[in-house]
Amino acid sequence: MTLLDIQGLSVTIPSPAGPVQAVRRIDLNIAKGEIHGLIGESGCGKTMTGMALLGLAPAGAQVAARVFQFDGIDLAKSADALRGRRIALISQDPAAALNPVLTIGRQMDDVLRTHTLQPKADRTAAAVALLAATGLPDAAKLLKRYPHQLSGGMQQRVVIAQALATGADFLIADEPTTALDVTVGAQVLALLRQLVADRGLTVLMITHDMDVVAAVCDRATVLYAGLSVETGPASAILTRPRHPYTAALLAALPDAAPHGQRLAAIDGQVPASTKPISGCAFSPRCPAAMTLCHTVPPPARVRGDHRWACHVAEDAP
Amino acid sequence: MTAPLLDVHDLVVRYKARGLFAAPSKPAVDRVSLSLPAGSTLGIVGESGSGKSSLLRAVLRLVPVESGSITLDGQDWLAIHGPALRHARHSIGFVAQNPFLSLSPRLTIAQILAEPLLARGDKPGAAMQDRMALLLSRCGLPPDFLARRARELSGGQAQRVSIARALALNPRLLVLDEPTSALDVSVQAQILNLLMDLKADFGLSMLFVTHNLKVVAHLADQLMVMRGGSVVESGATARVMSAPQQVYTRELMGFGRRA
Repeated sequence: MTLLDIQGLSVTIPSPAGPVQAVRRIDLNIAKGEIHGLIGESGCGKTMTGMALLGLAPAGAQVAARVFQFDGIDLAKSADALRGRRIALISQDPAAALNPVLTIGRQMDDVLRTHTLQPKADRTAAAVALLAATGLPDAAKLLKRYPHQLSGGMQQRVVIAQALATGADFLIADEPTTALDVTVGAQVLALLRQLVADRGLTVLMITHDMDVVAAVCDRATVLYAGLSVETGPASAILTRPRHPYTAALLAALPDAAPHGQRLAAIDGQVPASTKPISGCAFSPRCPAAMTLCHTVPPPARVRGDHRWACHVAEDAP
Repeated sequence: MTAPLLDVHDLVVRYKARGLFAAPSKPAVDRVSLSLPAGSTLGIVGESGSGKSSLLRAVLRLVPVESGSITLDGQDWLAIHGPALRHARHSIGFVAQNPFLSLSPRLTIAQILAEPLLARGDKPGAAMQDRMALLLSRCGLPPDFLARRARELSGGQAQRVSIARALALNPRLLVLDEPTSALDVSVQAQILNLLMDLKADFGLSMLFVTHNLKVVAHLADQLMVMRGGSVVESGATARVMSAPQQVYTRELMGFGRRA
C-alpha cells in the first residue's frame, strides 16, 4: 500500500541571483513498511525534499507538485499538521537536535506532553519504555542525564526515541549515521531496521552513502541536480544500475577499482541550480551521451518495478 | 632495505588530567610504534578517541610527547627546538579535513600559496609566480585560479589548493587528516586519484589518517588500525583487508556492500 506518493515535486527559492531550483522534478513513491533510500550528492535536493515533506521549506520558497500525498492526505495543505504527529525527523547531528541545557527526561516529556494526554507518572513510564526500546541501557537513570553526558550513538538513540514518542509512523532520517563512527552507525541502522519491523514504521533514508543503502534500504531513488533519475529495488540499484549517473557514482567508490588503480572520477560539475537544464541534466558529464541527450529531455524507462530516465536504450534484459 | 623516512618508537602522548591532585589520565597514544619507508603510504584508521589525531599531532610536533622517540629522515625529531624546528618543519606538509576552514576566505589563492614560500624566505617576483602556477598545475588546477578566493571554489577545488600549499616547500612527508571526509563521493575519487599521481610522480611518502577504512585501503601500502590509543592491528594493506586478525578491524570495514 502506498503511504507517500509524490509526482513532479519542485521547490524554487527566490534569491538575488534569480530563482534557485533546489528541487526541479522529483517523483517519490514509498510503500508502507518500507525503508526507502534517497541517494544523492551535495546540492542534489535530497534534504530539501525532506524539508518540503515536513512543511519546512524556507520562507518564500514555492513548493509545487502534481501529486503530493501522504496516506491520501494532501501534503500541500496539511504538512504542518502532520509534522510531529505522523511524520517525524531524525537529523544528522544528534548533539544539535537535543537541547544541551535540559535533561533527557525533560526533553522526552516535552514531546510526550504535547502529543498525549497522559498524567505525569504515565508519561515518565512511557519515556523510560521508549528509551529502552531504542536499546539504551538503564533508561530510568538516563532521564536525569544531560545530552553532553551521552555518546553520539546514545544521543542519536534518544532522538529516535523522541521521534517514536510523537507517535509518528513515517520517519525522515537525514544522514542519521554520518556524524557517528562506523561501528556505532551500524548499530543505529540495525535499530532502525528492528523498529520498522516491530512497529510497522516507514522510513525515508536520506543518504549519500551506498553502504547505508545496502545495509537497510528496501528500495531507493537516486537524485541528480534536483531530479529523480532512477528508482527501484535497492539491490538492483546497487548491482545493476540503469542510469549512467548511478553507475558513475558506484564506480567512483574507493573499493570499485583494484588497489592503487585510478578511480573512475566523474568529470565536470553538477549544473548550477539557477540555470535551466536542456535535455538530460547529466549529459555534459555522461560517457554515453549522444547529440540527442543535450537537447531532448530523456524518456522514462520502466522494467518491472525499476524506473529510470535515459535516452540510451537498455541493452541486456 | 634503506632506513625508514619516519620511525616512531613506543610513543606515549598523555594530556594533563584536570586538577592538581587528579590521578594521571589514560594516555591518548599508548606505546605506539610505526615505521614508514620513503615513498610509501601508511593508512592510520580509527574511530573517535582512538588516538589517531593525537599521534598525528605528535608527529607534527603540536603536542608534547611523554615518552618514546620519533626519527624523521635519520634525525631525532623530538630533539629539535626553536628556530631549528621551524626550519625542519619544511620537510612535512599537512592537509586538513575541511579546506574551507584551512584556507582563509579573505586571501586569494596566490596569497595562500605564497605564505609558506615567504615564510621560508623566498622573495616575491616572477619566479615565485611560476612556482605557484606549477604547484597548481601539479594539483590539476589552471594558473588563473591564483586570482580567485577560496570561497569561490568547489570543495574539490579547494582541497586541491590545500594539497598544493602542502607541497609548496617540497616536503619529504605529506600528512593528511581525513582529506576526503568532507567531500562527495565523485570528488573524493578525484582527490584520491590526485594523491596516487603525486605518489607515483614524486615518490611522496604519506601518513593518511581517516575513520574510513575503505578509502585509505585503496591507496595505502600499509595499514594501522588504532583503538583506545593502541594499535590493534597493522600490516600490509592486502593482508589486513583480506584476512583481518581482529574482530574490530572487520567491524570497521563497515556494513552493507561487500567488495
